[in-house]
Amino acid sequence: MTSAKHSAAFFRAEGVLVSTGVMSAAMFMAGQRAGMRERALRFGQAIASAPIFALLGQNDRTLGNRVAHLCYRDMSEDRIVVLAEEYVEDVLSEKVLDSGIELMRKAKADGHRVVVLSEGIAEIMDRLREKWRYIDDLVCNRLEYRGGKATGKLIDPVIGGYEGGRWLTQYAAEHDLDLSRSFAYASHGPDLLLLSQVGHPCAVNPDFTLRKAAREAEWPLMDYKA
Amino acid sequence: MTTPVPLPNPLSIRETLAGKHILLTGASGFVGKVWLSMVLHHVPQIGRIYVLLRGKGRGVKERFEKIVNESYAFLPLYEAHDGRMSEFLSQRIEVIAGDVSLPNMGVDPDTLARLQRDVDLVLNCAGLVDFNPDVREALASNVDGAVNVGDFIESSDHARLLHVSTCYVAGHRDGFVPETIVLDRTPNGTPIDAATEYRTLQRIIEGVDAENDDPKTEATLREDVVRRLAERGHEGDFKRVTDMVTRLKRKRLREMMAKAGTDRAKSLGWPNTYTYTKALAEQLLAARADRVRFAAFRPAIVESAIDFPFAGWNEGFNTSGPLVYLAGTWFRHVPAAAGNALDVIPVDSVCRALSIVACALLRGDATQVYQCGSSDRNFLPIDRLTELSALGHRRHLREHGDGALERLILSRWDATAADPEHVLNVTNIRKVMGQVTRYLKHGMPEKIPSEVREWADDLSKETESGVRKLRQIEDVLELFMPFTYEHYCVFQCRAIDRHPAVEREFEFAPENIEWRSYWLDVHMPGVRRWCFPEYEHKPKEIYTPKTRFTLLDPPQVAARAPAREDLGEAATRTR
Repeated sequence: MTSAKHSAAFFRAEGVLVSTGVMSAAMFMAGQRAGMRERALRFGQAIASAPIFALLGQNDRTLGNRVAHLCYRDMSEDRIVVLAEEYVEDVLSEKVLDSGIELMRKAKADGHRVVVLSEGIAEIMDRLREKWRYIDDLVCNRLEYRGGKATGKLIDPVIGGYEGGRWLTQYAAEHDLDLSRSFAYASHGPDLLLLSQVGHPCAVNPDFTLRKAAREAEWPLMDYKA
Repeated sequence: MTTPVPLPNPLSIRETLAGKHILLTGASGFVGKVWLSMVLHHVPQIGRIYVLLRGKGRGVKERFEKIVNESYAFLPLYEAHDGRMSEFLSQRIEVIAGDVSLPNMGVDPDTLARLQRDVDLVLNCAGLVDFNPDVREALASNVDGAVNVGDFIESSDHARLLHVSTCYVAGHRDGFVPETIVLDRTPNGTPIDAATEYRTLQRIIEGVDAENDDPKTEATLREDVVRRLAERGHEGDFKRVTDMVTRLKRKRLREMMAKAGTDRAKSLGWPNTYTYTKALAEQLLAARADRVRFAAFRPAIVESAIDFPFAGWNEGFNTSGPLVYLAGTWFRHVPAAAGNALDVIPVDSVCRALSIVACALLRGDATQVYQCGSSDRNFLPIDRLTELSALGHRRHLREHGDGALERLILSRWDATAADPEHVLNVTNIRKVMGQVTRYLKHGMPEKIPSEVREWADDLSKETESGVRKLRQIEDVLELFMPFTYEHYCVFQCRAIDRHPAVEREFEFAPENIEWRSYWLDVHMPGVRRWCFPEYEHKPKEIYTPKTRFTLLDPPQVAARAPAREDLGEAATRTR
């Protein structure tokens, strides 16, 4: 009966499709706030959150992401949307990993459902999705807004932590996916659960933790640059 | 507040307007042109539209042809009737020479008698929208015009009046503004009788006139002119003195008339002469409501079209235009109170609403007042609008900025809504710039290299021009302050919901406007193309049709196609 199910290819955007992460976007946005005082304050906040994000990266990436996105607080949705467009054009387009895009294109050609997971916010990732036409589903973080302004909080579930593995099980059930025939490409330690649940995991440009784990599990390893 | 219940029979604009004869005044204005174009485009089965025009130094026929041939408002008509525009319009339009500010609208008696017999509806779009005009002109256009049109309605067989006013007749007040005409008091609570007030205003004008004609005034002016000419070595030049005195008297009179209007308006609680005269006109019409079947239509701030005649169409010196323009300059602090609404409504939404109310009047379903704005249904705070404007400029300047300074710095300069007393307000900046200009012109040391002198001269010309521009901006901001800073107003806009339109192209739904995309993708490109050139004294972009429209004389006009065919044709085009 499993042969009737569909297969998917899961891509973690950060490290697999683009060589930059959420801190870069947070700093860009903080540096473009309205008003010099806000700019200085929020940029300082973003810089201060960078080491926290790095420290929490392997242990509690969910909390890391929450801290990284605090500098969006009180920023209008209008500004975030316009700056996201600018960020994608000026920054992210230079950081796209062509080999990752090729992997995505091949997965699509092979008939897999292409799913991209990202710690990035929807305002940015939706722009990328317009450029990458292979994507069937995009799962990313969403900022909470009140009265047209960001509260600095992320809406649950926060993408990027260990929850990715639990999320995957639910997603596979909802979309009738056979995970044993599915692929996953990721770069960070917290993606271990995600990779371990599919039949064809692959560590791409992995960090120290994931590289070690991938070697022990004898998963394929790929390294490429922008 | 109660929400009006829609009337049982939905309104078909096409069916209601089919064969109806409409007299249109103010057809050369922003709203008038778009409405004319829209109705002719979507309702070709309309009867006859009589366009009342002043000649302004040429024949009215020629003036109307120029309006149609040069305005992009008629683009959809040119596209739909390529090559036979003259025939199409001539079958439906008759241009009438006249002037609403004159008795009988300045129309000759034969034509007037014909209009009194034939016209079903008068759409009075005529008006002077200048905020700070010579009060005589405002009175003639906004008040006498309405009174004369009212007289016409009273003397006509069956015509009804749709009078275009403004939401801002509410004057200096805060809060929710209902769709009613207040007859007995002004916005600051002063008791008022419109007829008495009209006479008072006339007396004020007579007083100013008399003061300006006073021989003492002329003598003072003459002394001043002679002294100035003597300083320049033109003593005894009698003709020159007389010419200058005449010019100065005229200028002085205009300034005094403008001030008299503004003072009177402010003393009664209106921010300017425009809103005061418009309110007076409404009150005068309402006082004759038993004899004049009319509805007052009050648009808020009319701005760029969403899709008709095309996205972004705009014209002239509208209210948000200067604010948007300002957000793209080095000036950062736009005087505005965060959270206040700037009630913006696209011109095509206004024209749709106008058509709906026109039909409601023709059917006898109309109420007395229809406000047409967005604040009640889709609130747009001015601080959001300011930020959107700054973001729109950022987007534009990043790609099209003139040099690295504009592309990298000005694009990120970011205007914000600020208190008018902010230290970096436009007045302070102008004063500093004026001091810099004076220093560059007169304060530099005498013994400096000629290159530095030339550089200082060039720079002083720049700063001098900057001071002039800032002075203009300052004047405009002062006029707009009641709308941007002083008052928090929400204009009720519900009466129109009583008349749901059958045709989708006449649907009025400001609640569906997505402000971000409207502002960034429609309005800002629109004002940048159609309005900014005017602010910068650059030539206006003029439409050039492939085949120019000429208003044909009646014998040249072929018989009208049957209404049913027209209906089908229109339906095909609008799908």
